[in-house]
Amino acid sequence: MLADILAVLPETALALMGMVVLILGLAKVRNHLAVAVLTLGSLLLAGVLLSHVGRAVDPGEHFMFGMFVLDRFAIYFKALLLACSFLTVLLSIDYLMRHDARPGEYLALVMLATVGMMTMASGVHLAAIYVGLELMALSTYVLAGYFRRQVKSHEAAAKYFVLGALSSGILLYGLSLLYGATGTLELQAIAGRLAQGPPSAAALAGIGLLACGFLFKVAAVPFHMWTPDVYEGAPTPITTFMSVGPKAAAFAIFLRVFDGGLAPVAESWRPLVWGAAALTMVWGNIAALTQDNVKRMLAYSSIAHAGYALVGLVAGGDAGVQSVLLYMLVYTVTNVGAFGLVILLESRGYAGQTVQDFAGLARKQPVAAFGMLLFLLSLGGIPPTAGFMGKLYVFAAAIRSGYVWLVVIAVLMSAVSLYYYLRIVLQMYLRDGEGVEPAPMVSAVWTERALWACAVAVLLIGLWPGPFAAAAAAGLGIMPLP
Amino acid sequence: MEFFANPLNQICYLPLLGALVIIFFLKREQSKAIKVVATVTAGLDFVISIPLWWRYLPEGNAFQLTYKASWIPSIGSSYHFGVDGISVLLILLTTLLGFIAVYSSFSAITHREKEYYVFLLVLQTGMLGVFMALDFVLFYVFWEVMLVPMYFLIGIWGGPRKLYAAIKFFLYTLAGSVLMLVGILALYFYNSTGLGAVGLEGLGNPATFDVPTLFGIAGRIPPGLQMWIFLAFFVGFAIKVPMFPFHTWLPDAHVEAPTAGSVILAGVLLKMGTYGFIRFSLPLLPDATQKAVPWMVGLAIVGIIYGALVAMAQKDMKKLVAYSSVSHLGFVMLGMFALNPSGLSGSVLQMINHGLSTGGLFLLVGIVYERRHTRMIADYGGLAKVMPVYATLFMIITMASIGLPTLNGFVGELTILIGAFNRSTWWAVLAASGIVLGAAYMLWLYQRVFFGDITHEENHTLTDVNRREQWTLIPLVVLCFWIGLYPKPFFRIMEPSIRRVVEVVDPGYLAHPRLPAVSTVPPPAHGR
Amino acid sequence: MLNLLWLVLAFPLAGTCLLLAGARRLGHRATAAIGVGSAGLSLLVTLGALVSYAGMHGEVVTQTLYRWIAAGNFTVDLSLRLDSLSAVMLFFVTVVGFLIHVYSVGYMHDEAATAYARYFAYLNLFMFAMLTLVLGANLLVVFVGWEGVGLCSYLLIGFYFEKDWCAAAGKKAFIVNRIGDFGFLLAIVIAFKAFGTVDIAGLQAAMAADPEAAGRWATVLAVLLFVGATGKSAQLPLYVWLPDAMAGPTPVSALIHAATMVTAGVYMVARTSFIYALSPTALLVVAVVGGVTAVFAATIGLAQNDIKKVLAYSTVSQLGYMFLGAGAGAFAAAIFHVFTHAFFKACLFLGAGSVIHACGGEQDMRKMGGLKSHMKATYWTFLVATLALAGIPIFAGFFSKDEILAKVFAAGVGNLHGYGTVYLGLWGLGVVGAFLTAFYMFRVVYMTFHGEYRGSAEQRHHLHESPGVMVWPLRILAGGSVVAGLLGVSKAMVFDWFDSNWFEHLLHPVAPAVTVGHHVSLGVEWGLIVLSVGVAVAGIWLAKRFYFGPEAGAVPARVAAAWPRLYRTVANKYWVDEIYDATVVDGTMMLARGSWEVDARVVDGVVNGTALGTRGSAFASGLFDLHIVDGLVNKIADAYQWASVKLRRLQWGVVQGYALAMVVGFVLVLAAALWLGHAV
Repeated sequence: MLADILAVLPETALALMGMVVLILGLAKVRNHLAVAVLTLGSLLLAGVLLSHVGRAVDPGEHFMFGMFVLDRFAIYFKALLLACSFLTVLLSIDYLMRHDARPGEYLALVMLATVGMMTMASGVHLAAIYVGLELMALSTYVLAGYFRRQVKSHEAAAKYFVLGALSSGILLYGLSLLYGATGTLELQAIAGRLAQGPPSAAALAGIGLLACGFLFKVAAVPFHMWTPDVYEGAPTPITTFMSVGPKAAAFAIFLRVFDGGLAPVAESWRPLVWGAAALTMVWGNIAALTQDNVKRMLAYSSIAHAGYALVGLVAGGDAGVQSVLLYMLVYTVTNVGAFGLVILLESRGYAGQTVQDFAGLARKQPVAAFGMLLFLLSLGGIPPTAGFMGKLYVFAAAIRSGYVWLVVIAVLMSAVSLYYYLRIVLQMYLRDGEGVEPAPMVSAVWTERALWACAVAVLLIGLWPGPFAAAAAAGLGIMPLP
Repeated sequence: MEFFANPLNQICYLPLLGALVIIFFLKREQSKAIKVVATVTAGLDFVISIPLWWRYLPEGNAFQLTYKASWIPSIGSSYHFGVDGISVLLILLTTLLGFIAVYSSFSAITHREKEYYVFLLVLQTGMLGVFMALDFVLFYVFWEVMLVPMYFLIGIWGGPRKLYAAIKFFLYTLAGSVLMLVGILALYFYNSTGLGAVGLEGLGNPATFDVPTLFGIAGRIPPGLQMWIFLAFFVGFAIKVPMFPFHTWLPDAHVEAPTAGSVILAGVLLKMGTYGFIRFSLPLLPDATQKAVPWMVGLAIVGIIYGALVAMAQKDMKKLVAYSSVSHLGFVMLGMFALNPSGLSGSVLQMINHGLSTGGLFLLVGIVYERRHTRMIADYGGLAKVMPVYATLFMIITMASIGLPTLNGFVGELTILIGAFNRSTWWAVLAASGIVLGAAYMLWLYQRVFFGDITHEENHTLTDVNRREQWTLIPLVVLCFWIGLYPKPFFRIMEPSIRRVVEVVDPGYLAHPRLPAVSTVPPPAHGR
Repeated sequence: MLNLLWLVLAFPLAGTCLLLAGARRLGHRATAAIGVGSAGLSLLVTLGALVSYAGMHGEVVTQTLYRWIAAGNFTVDLSLRLDSLSAVMLFFVTVVGFLIHVYSVGYMHDEAATAYARYFAYLNLFMFAMLTLVLGANLLVVFVGWEGVGLCSYLLIGFYFEKDWCAAAGKKAFIVNRIGDFGFLLAIVIAFKAFGTVDIAGLQAAMAADPEAAGRWATVLAVLLFVGATGKSAQLPLYVWLPDAMAGPTPVSALIHAATMVTAGVYMVARTSFIYALSPTALLVVAVVGGVTAVFAATIGLAQNDIKKVLAYSTVSQLGYMFLGAGAGAFAAAIFHVFTHAFFKACLFLGAGSVIHACGGEQDMRKMGGLKSHMKATYWTFLVATLALAGIPIFAGFFSKDEILAKVFAAGVGNLHGYGTVYLGLWGLGVVGAFLTAFYMFRVVYMTFHGEYRGSAEQRHHLHESPGVMVWPLRILAGGSVVAGLLGVSKAMVFDWFDSNWFEHLLHPVAPAVTVGHHVSLGVEWGLIVLSVGVAVAGIWLAKRFYFGPEAGAVPARVAAAWPRLYRTVANKYWVDEIYDATVVDGTMMLARGSWEVDARVVDGVVNGTALGTRGSAFASGLFDLHIVDGLVNKIADAYQWASVKLRRLQWGVVQGYALAMVVGFVLVLAAALWLGHAV
């Protein structure tokens, strides 16, 4: 009993703090900084607790009636997710101030979403996973439409909600089918059942639906359509958050469920994911080529990156899982950085979102321009940035498992992707002395701090990937299979 | 700090250091200081690289001055630097041309100087790393790192179509190198765990990206796999060389790039492709190499003749020189895939020669371009009258590039022909015909630019090369003569490394060479 | 003394460097001093070397400077070789070279200081290259000199580079020579592949050691080497550059394009005679090309009016004779003709130069005439040289040319290698050529020096004899043209009294003649001598008939009128240049432009096409994500419009579209999952 409480301590703490922040919000506290610092503090607290609890409990043990584990995998993801939220908050502070929005609910929602994601990372029981998923989803729906006065934001929220609901429905249907087929929602048990013989049609259908739901959450083709609109519409800090946090969490459950519970029938779903991965990489990169709106472009790019990560999932095995874990880390720091710079340029309304707004930035703001260059190169997977190392591990894993052609597609697509990343670079550096002016930068100390952190991380991982790879490797052994 | 005690590390990172100094300690406006720092750094880099010439001992180990440190232990990739005879020469070429490139840019680059010199120096670090790296991941990192500064050099300081040229250069070469990465990974896993789903058993060795270690398994890779890996490498390297028909990025890049950019591009970047072949493809994939010989030689010869013909039709000086590069690198590839000592050493020497002569030609074109802002041959004519010194230097470099004896080009081409002939008569015959064409287009260029009456008023007032410009060229001219008159030391340095390559790729050769051992028949009279 | 051999090369090279370095500062005086001085010094060293070499009995002296190339097992030394053959060449190259340097001091005096320095620099460089060619101990060093002289000829032909046609001529010379060198280079490569060395002595030894291989390779090697020779020595079909080469200053024409460089081909054939000796085919090729060229060029020479052009074609024709001789296996005779020819042809060119100098740059003989009275020395020296060339007894040309014809005849009647009839035919050609030579040379003499002056008044005003610095070389060379022949008087002429052909003896060890068993009787030999003298005299007589006296030139005019087409064909050199331009040159250029088109359109087109395609599909997929779905769904949206007014604000259509697409996708995935599952 005590162990159960201990295991969920970080989530609990974070949830409680979330309540506090929420109340502060209701109490009409308009001191953004105070609230924000409180939020950051509580995220840190959760982190600290996590590290202690992680050492205290037995990674193999199941808590909460077999719903919840705290293995290295979960810990890795939770740390990553906390980092995501932390960066998101940093990005949000100035934004909230600038738009003079009430910080309370906003930050509370971020924290609750985090709780949901952390639950997903730990869930070994489909019900638990579903609950976490919904908690996260609902919070993000609201966050996406947080700025009611902005029609686009409002719209985005509505779309996200409707489609998200649909996908949840599909997911839920899949769960129930799987339950019907195997008579249990516990992944380990499911694995046990499936291991006994060829899967029944119901099980297969369930797996298919489950895949649909997950693919939606990671924004993979053909369930990606919502992404550009929602990313474009949502307030940029939230876009940032959605593009990293929920994605990472979704990959956590994707791995846990498919490479764990459904591992025995891997042959039946791997080709499916193979196709999805290939399709996602191609479609995401190709569609991004002509986007003039940076947020849309980055949306498509994040779709493509989901594709790369899926390659790791296809590769499977320890190497595959490790590569996905590392990739998520790399992708997070890079993407947050890229979006962060977009935020910096968003002085008013939706400025700083078209490619032209970056024109001549190198002269006006050399540091910022260099940062953006760094992040874009990392997204494109050019060494010596983190992006390259992330891709290296993923591709290596895939080739090791012999998915050479998938990797060929992947590398060619990553070459294509450089085209649209370089479009921004071109605006920043090459379109100089043509009388073009970049969008004026807003002063945003907190955002800048977040960016510095990301930039350092990108270079550090790129030049010295060893420790990070080791950390990702520690997250192996998703679950002991029968 | 034994990291920086290693000469290779010093040579490789000194330019980067200089770049950092410029970034952090100098303002945009301090153009003079920036130039000084850049020049000093590049010059110093050349100076400290010179000792390699004697610190590398040809009769010593395969790779020397090595520095190895753990980097990414989890995948068996280490930070491994080292040089053999081939890379020593290329490193020296790089540092020399790097210095000349910086030194030649003073008057050519007038805006955004700070960034320019930073990129130039970073580029040099990247190139040096490529020639020093003995670990595949490390090699690949440097290989791609140097794309970025080059992209900027072309894109920011380039000519009218710079944007197109820059993006073309970047994507084209990148597309090639990513496939090379796939090849590297396949090799890596064959050495260790094997490639699961394609049902390929690995050798089960500890996973490593270490090149010398992988040389050990060269013989044991199944021919089928070798072919695939060779193909993957080929795409990467052939685009860089560039071999016909992957060459079309080159003219655009050359024409649009600023002078220094073209010099580096022609002098060093193209060599990375050929270096890749001789360092990785040949010794790692001997069977595939043997199988590929006809194809490679075919492409090489097409490149020689086709490049020369296209060059002949050019109206733009830089484009002409660019296509002549295609032709010359055809020679390099031909010699390399003769797979015998003469051919290989010829091709390595020709890499250096091409770096010197073509680099020199781009410098020379840049000199008049600065004065007249046109590269069209038709806009010149009769320059010999107003710029005699310039005309003389241009003549020497031209002769070097068309392979006149006593100049470097001849020695390279001859040894390549010897090597090629040794495998097939017709290769040599076809290739030699390229020499005739070479003379034709270069002399025609020379005639149109320097001879005849001055047809354009502006040309009457052209000033001859100034001291600085002379000093950018004189080292090249001296080296051209040195290699032409006394190439022995160069051959001596590369000899053992080349023997090692031959031992792997054509073991039978050294055992009983198809070539009669040099009959050192003493002249039937008493020399005195 | 002999170990200072390298100084022979060093002095001219040093001169070049000095002159190029100091081109800006040096005045005429200093330039002349350096230029002539270096040539003179190398002449002195040569004489010294030759004297001490004379002391030894025709052994081969080699001096290795250093190891030049060592790539793989391909090693070449930079080494010099002095034997009787190279000694002969060395002698006349340095002598004639020195004289022409001296002559140039006067001839080029009006040039600006820098041009003057440039001229002498190039001339010294030429001496260096030519001597390297002569002294080279292995084919590669010879090739170095070979290309070097090519370069100098390129530079000196294009000396007046402001004139487009001079520059063009230079380029033409270099490229045509390159075509020949292509053969030479291949020969070197083959020699190395077959025998593992390019050293001449080594090659000879290797071929002797392995007759089987030697037999297999001899013909290929010999023919390829000869391809090189046709380029350098202006034989069919590569002779076209030499007439144009007259664009250069006249002393250059004398030195490079008459006396020395153009004979390099003959020298090379003699140098490698041990290869030719093994290949009847190759010998025949050499002989035929030589013989045909001799007559072909002579006929063109008949109708030229530019004095230097006539001499140029006469050179081509004489070179033909030399190859004819070599082709008959009489290498010594060929070299002998090279030797004598050097004197009288140099003398002729310098004489022509002196004439042109006097006429203020006029080269057209139709605007000359009657110069005899104005420039005695020039006239007499020119006449002597002409007689020598025409092959009039006691003059040098007589002995050498007659030696060649005799040897060819001998080869014919002796049925050398069973090609007897061919050789007899070639001998016939040779005799015809001798007639033509005498004719066109005296045509020159009469048109230039006799009759009335036909130039403009003010040209006539400053007709003058050239300064001593120009005249003395003429005198010396004329002297040479008289005595040089006595070195090789054939046995027949002294009625087999004693073996008088010193020259042949000298060269026998290095270039032994390919002998025929059959011996030509003394009577026959004298018959031949009389015949060749006869045709020469006939030629002179006809020339006199045509171009001398009151109605000079009337007869030729009538001839031209009678056969206009024939005349035009000859006067226009059989349109060979035009044909080459139309075929080879234009062909190459068309090919070049063609491949450029291909490169720009096709090869690059593919690349850009790919890029375009990608961006296109990008656009398409963008459309799909937005509009297809959108459009497809707008129908539904319309249906909704009346139903819900409120919600229309948020383009529900799009969302529904997406939802629809998702459902479709999910159905697909579902199907796939089931199918795959059962496939398992």
